[in-house]
Amino acid sequence: MLNFNTPIMDTKEFSEIKISEIEPILKINLRGKNRDFVTKIGKELSIITPVDPNTSSSNEKLNLLWLSPDEWLIYSNEKIDLNGANFLEDKLYNEISKVNLGSITNVTDHWIMINLSGTKIFELLSADCPFNFNSFKNSKGAVVQTLVNHIDVVIHNKNINNVNLFVRRSFTNHLWSWLNDGASRL
Amino acid sequence: MFLINCPYCGERDQSEFTAGGEAHIVRPKQPTELSDDQWAEFLFMRKNIKGVQLERWNHAHGCRKWFNMVRDTSNDKIHAVYKMGEKPPIK
Repeated sequence: MLNFNTPIMDTKEFSEIKISEIEPILKINLRGKNRDFVTKIGKELSIITPVDPNTSSSNEKLNLLWLSPDEWLIYSNEKIDLNGANFLEDKLYNEISKVNLGSITNVTDHWIMINLSGTKIFELLSADCPFNFNSFKNSKGAVVQTLVNHIDVVIHNKNINNVNLFVRRSFTNHLWSWLNDGASRL
Repeated sequence: MFLINCPYCGERDQSEFTAGGEAHIVRPKQPTELSDDQWAEFLFMRKNIKGVQLERWNHAHGCRKWFNMVRDTSNDKIHAVYKMGEKPPIK
């Protein structure tokens, strides 16, 4: 994580929508197939591993998102110190990767987290997204991987009218411009 | 445009998926013993029928999992969706 530079470092407020980049946030990708792996994650993180599609679980420090039947994403609630040692990654690596239960990948620099809040966020996202947000927006903790403006995103419904959107670093500026442009017209 | 019921994520728009061609084509166990024609038959020749076809699809912009689908190519009606390794529910 050397030379870490966040691409946006900005917050924009519109009449019904607030868009802000929240970085640096710890993000770790977990991949594994067997039941021992799922049990181990829950034990190490003190969190129930979500095995139902499009769901997540959280505690006061971390969120664990279901991405596919054998893949999960962890992200922290608080900003992290990039110069400090990453104890969680080391702990998971030693308990899971080293014993061949699954794989642990630090994707902190890979994904950028954008927080969207306000009453019109789903109206904004629906402007160019094939996903139907009707039931999603009322399901706290719901997760969806879809396309927004033809860009791959992971959306976590953190609370009512408050979502965290993860986008790949190289697409961040483009999506940020699109979100701001769309929000200014709503 | 049509909706596809991903066996892992649920109903999603077709734009999130990519088609992977005809399903259940078995790779020859000894490719080196095949003639060029037999190898070409396995590699390139597809039925490409108008009607009910067994296909592979990938939820590329979702869970990124492969699965199989029974689809009528003439009207895009999806008869069944099933996971990789499972037998087709209809013939």
